[in-house]
Amino acid sequence: MNATTTTTRTYEYRLTGAGIIRSEFIKLRTVRSTVWLYASMVVTSVGIAALVATASGNTSDSPILPLTAATIGTSLGQLVAAVLGVLVVSGEYATGMIRSTISAVPKRLPALGAKMLVLFVTTFVVGLVSTFGALFAALPILGSQGVEADYSDGTLVGSLMLAALYLALVSVFSLGLGTLLRNSAAGIAVALGTILLLPTIMQIISALTQAQWALDLFPYLFSNAGMGMYLPGTGSAGLDQWQSTLIVLAWVAAPVIAGAVLLKRRDA
Amino acid sequence: MIHAEGLTKHYGTKTAVDAISFTVKPGLVTGFLGPNGAGKSTTMRMIVGLDRPTAGSVTVNGKPYAEHRSPLTEVGALLDAKAIHTGRSAYNHLLAMGATHGIGKSRVNDVIGLTGLETVAGKRVGGFSLGMGQRLGIAAALLGDPATLILDEPVNGLDPEGVIWVRNLARHLAGEGRTIFLSSHLMSEMALTADHLIVLGRGKIIADAPVSEILAASTRTSVRVRTPQVDRLTELLRGPDTTITTAELGLLTVTGLTAPVIGDAAARAGIVLHELTPVAASLEEAYMELTQDDIEYHTEAPPGVNTTTNTSTQEVAR
Repeated sequence: MNATTTTTRTYEYRLTGAGIIRSEFIKLRTVRSTVWLYASMVVTSVGIAALVATASGNTSDSPILPLTAATIGTSLGQLVAAVLGVLVVSGEYATGMIRSTISAVPKRLPALGAKMLVLFVTTFVVGLVSTFGALFAALPILGSQGVEADYSDGTLVGSLMLAALYLALVSVFSLGLGTLLRNSAAGIAVALGTILLLPTIMQIISALTQAQWALDLFPYLFSNAGMGMYLPGTGSAGLDQWQSTLIVLAWVAAPVIAGAVLLKRRDA
Repeated sequence: MIHAEGLTKHYGTKTAVDAISFTVKPGLVTGFLGPNGAGKSTTMRMIVGLDRPTAGSVTVNGKPYAEHRSPLTEVGALLDAKAIHTGRSAYNHLLAMGATHGIGKSRVNDVIGLTGLETVAGKRVGGFSLGMGQRLGIAAALLGDPATLILDEPVNGLDPEGVIWVRNLARHLAGEGRTIFLSSHLMSEMALTADHLIVLGRGKIIADAPVSEILAASTRTSVRVRTPQVDRLTELLRGPDTTITTAELGLLTVTGLTAPVIGDAAARAGIVLHELTPVAASLEEAYMELTQDDIEYHTEAPPGVNTTTNTSTQEVAR
């Protein structure tokens, strides 16, 4: 029983950035909720694409565009990414795991950085699988309606990559909220509120008061700017995709920076 | 080696730890005692940087914990058995913890074997009993083969076999020259495990001495007296510094007087004694005495062991 501890200082262990990233990746993939949430993201995206492609042929004279079919699941996928992002860190607070994490990485910010990087990359990859999976599920159905994908100017492929990027950014935004609020319910409420409720609230305000400013703000809201990233033209106000991307990045930066400052300052 | 200097922690207006200074030396098992809320866990959390001190500092092996290049090899800490994600298996928890320091599968399997978790390592931690969670916490603390081990209530929830295992482990690791710092509310456990005690009360150190010294300094040595004339003897011995309790008919336990004093007094009064036995204080009693004095005089500076020999008149009330 004691054999392995009798050897003092035989091991050469060192805290490294690569090690922290590896640790966070192990953590992400060894919790069931992660696997289920990512799986649901892909399944809903592909399923909805197939569904709308089928439906569009039956109901209208102008069939749905391949880009629209491939990204329509993103509006649901963003909710999954938001929940996942919050849980990655709030789950650690709920269970006390955060104290183990901080004991191993006492400077704290490298652990948060690694969490963000791992979540961002994984969600981006799963987002690519979702959007391109949706495209390839929709294309044969649309093809039978005479609609072909147009790869000529790169808009389609670029927009699908931007959709995946948006999903990844939503997860990081929510991770920031989780770090800030340290509570799953509160984090998910604020994340989903920002994505779903904020546009509705602005719509109600503008409808009730005829306020132009509420309409002007519309393309700058988180989820609207997100849609502006992957559906060129929908952002209104004449925002380009890259401009919408910058707006989304600003939204992401706010909770991430605030969360990082508080993580460093607060007692764990 | 752990060294604290003027370590202080306020939570709002409440002072959890009040300017304490102490050193935990390598090669010894140092026990950390104190009533609930005395500040033990807060102190341990400050050592590994989970809580930020309001004032003062604490270093491990000469540096603040966070400044070390490989924190897990400097300090292994079991601070809270529930510091583990319930949705992850024990094996994956240890693997993730170890990965930060490049600690691989073989060392993870080592500590799983060392803590006797082989049969449950693949199961999710949410279903673990308190004792298994405690073993997993100890496994995580041992991952980095640390020079200093900090264990907060390590025997909490362990079965008797586990308690003996922790005791032997602590003694064994101290024997290798490591620094072992453990808190426990079981005084009897400390008497068996620790070489040195730091006693904390209301955020202040009220004793910092070898176990043997704390036992010797205790004034709560009592005398067992057996007599057929209980009432007369009780009347005779009654005094402001004396406590007399009766456990069974004809048997008294007297504190505050020595056996010769009791014997002489009884002889002068013509009272028959069937037994007169001095009983040394247990560590538990010595500890109760220390912490009780601290509560009574908590506004004074913590002077150490010596002043605690001044017993109070309050004991009559006991």
